[in-house]
Formats: sequence, structure tokens, C-alpha cells
Amino acid sequence: GPLDLSGTKEPIAPALPSALASARIIDDINRVEYPEGIRSPKVELNVNAKDGKFKYDRDFLLQFMAICKEKPDSLPPLDAIGLEPSDQSYPI
Amino acid sequence: QEVDMQQQAENIRTVFNDPKNFNVKHPLYSPWTLWFDSPATKGRNLPQTPMTSFPQTPLLQTPGGLGGAAQGWMEDIKRVISFDSVEEFWGLYNNIVPPSQLPQKANYYLFKEGIIPAWEDEANKNGGKWSIQLPRDKNRGNIDRMWLYTMLAAIGETCDPLLTEDAVVSPPQSLLTGVIVSIRPQFYRLSIWTRTAPSGNGSSDDDKLRERIEAIGKHFKITVLGYGEAQKLAGPLATEVEFLSHKDSEKKKSAKKIIV
Repeated sequence: GPLDLSGTKEPIAPALPSALASARIIDDINRVEYPEGIRSPKVELNVNAKDGKFKYDRDFLLQFMAICKEKPDSLPPLDAIGLEPSDQSYPI
Repeated sequence: QEVDMQQQAENIRTVFNDPKNFNVKHPLYSPWTLWFDSPATKGRNLPQTPMTSFPQTPLLQTPGGLGGAAQGWMEDIKRVISFDSVEEFWGLYNNIVPPSQLPQKANYYLFKEGIIPAWEDEANKNGGKWSIQLPRDKNRGNIDRMWLYTMLAAIGETCDPLLTEDAVVSPPQSLLTGVIVSIRPQFYRLSIWTRTAPSGNGSSDDDKLRERIEAIGKHFKITVLGYGEAQKLAGPLATEVEFLSHKDSEKKKSAKKIIV
């Protein structure tokens, strides 16, 4: 039968698909060319890698920290699961 | 042919090329799930919105099921999110509370998707854990970086040196199942859980497994945590980087620790 949406509090505007949701999986990590100044994952980690089973060294991964800041759509409100920063003072 | 490849390279836009309109993402070796618990999550129910309608208390496929205490514990642990790409991991990392700001008695559990962060899970029950305990006062300024590096070693799948060295056509199954950070009034604890644990039966297979487990411990101590190979770490409220099988953890008395 039709979905019962009567419990829905307010109409939810369809969100634009984020780049993350529509981006496809890299299938050959050794073929990706990064912009100048960005290093590739260590080549020896992914010799014969297949099926998207890639390994990434820390230095490669850390390069994403300053870029990927957007909150994931699937992250629930943190206070709803009791995940909040504690009000702790730092005695010096 | 050459033009084709050039064309293809131009069509690939990573997040480094275009942070807003990238069209490829970096898949992780395994999908992961982050779990959380603290005194504040006890008895609190997740709102049943579509994105969190995941069964709240996962059913464990263990003979006999969980005992009463463990069952209650799983009800208090909250599934935060699952992810399978580098880009999603950082989106999560940049929008969540770091360990240094978590309340006392809180824990983060980052486990491969489908594995419950409990030793009763099929993937954990024959395994064990590398762990280190660090005095809280002296390590407030270190714990966030240490936890980040522990997570990066896990999701990057660089913890298990055999998996990294043996870049063969069919690599062995990864020994890693998850990583945990625990916040306690006096100390922090970081752990790396493995799928198997050496039994000490003297067989050559068991010796090989022990070597592989020790290599994970050394990687944890030196590369992830940044300590010197021979550095002694035990002290008041502090332990060495030590391995204990879950079965031995239960016994306590006759526990056989491996230390790196």
C-alpha cells in the first residue's frame, strides 16, 4: 500500500545529491594522477590490488583532513546518541 | 589509445582537484562502523529515523547467545555511522568529538562492518588485543593524535605487515577486526583487536601466527604511537604495549601476555 507519511513532522526538501553520494569508486588507484603537491599512496601497498581493496599510508590519508570537512548525511545528531563534548575544565 | 587514456585522466576529478564537485572517491579496504558508549548513552534509545533505524541491539550469531550482562552492555552501545571511503572517514572525523573531549568512561569502537565490538562475535572470539594504557594527565595533549593514527592504520589497512609485504594475487585475510579508545578517570587505553591469537602450542603454524601478531604490535608501538622500539613504557597508570588473547583475558590469573 501507499506509504503512511502522516507521522512525518515536516516536509523534507529533497537534498541535492552530494558529490560524495554520486562519486564513483576509484577502480585503479595506480592510474589516478593527483594535482601537484599531493602525493600518491605508497605504490608498494597496492601492487596487484583489485576489487577496490586498496591500502593507504598515513601521509597519504592525512592530506584529506583539511579538505573533507562536510558532515556526512548519515551522521545522526550527536546529542541524540549522548555523544557530546564534556564540560571539563583543564586545570593548568 | 594514448588519447583515450589522457581523456580518462582528465575525467577523473578527485577531492584534491575539486573539493565540491569531485567525481571519484577512494574506497577503503573494508567498510567500517563507528560505535560509541558512555554513561550518558545508557538506557537512551536512538530515534528511529530512517538513517538510524539499524537494529539497535544486534543479534549475535553465537551458540547460546550473550549472557545477561553482555546483552545489557550491547544495548547501551550506540552505532554512530558506517563508511567505506577515505572521504567519508574525514567528513566524520571533522564533525565528531575527539577523545580528549569525551566524558569519563566513554569509549569509541571502530570495527569492520558486520563485526560487533565484543569478544563474543564470531570474528573476535578466537582473537585477542594489543593494548596500551596511558596516564590521562600526561597524555591529554597526545591522545587525539594517537587515536587518529590508530584509526588511520586500521582503515588504511597498514597494521598487518604480512598483508602489506605479501602483495600477492590472493593476500591472506586481514587479522585486524577493530580498534578502541577508552577514556577513564585516570588513564586512556588504546587497543587493536585481532581475529586470531597464538595459542602457544609450539606448532610451526602457531609460531608463524605469533610472529605476525608481534609484527602488528611493533607497528602499533613504533609507527602508530611513535615510541622507540626498545622504549620502556610501563609506570604508574601506564602499561607496555601488550597482547592478550580474549580467552586468556577471561582467566586473568594464568594470562600469558606478549610484550613488544
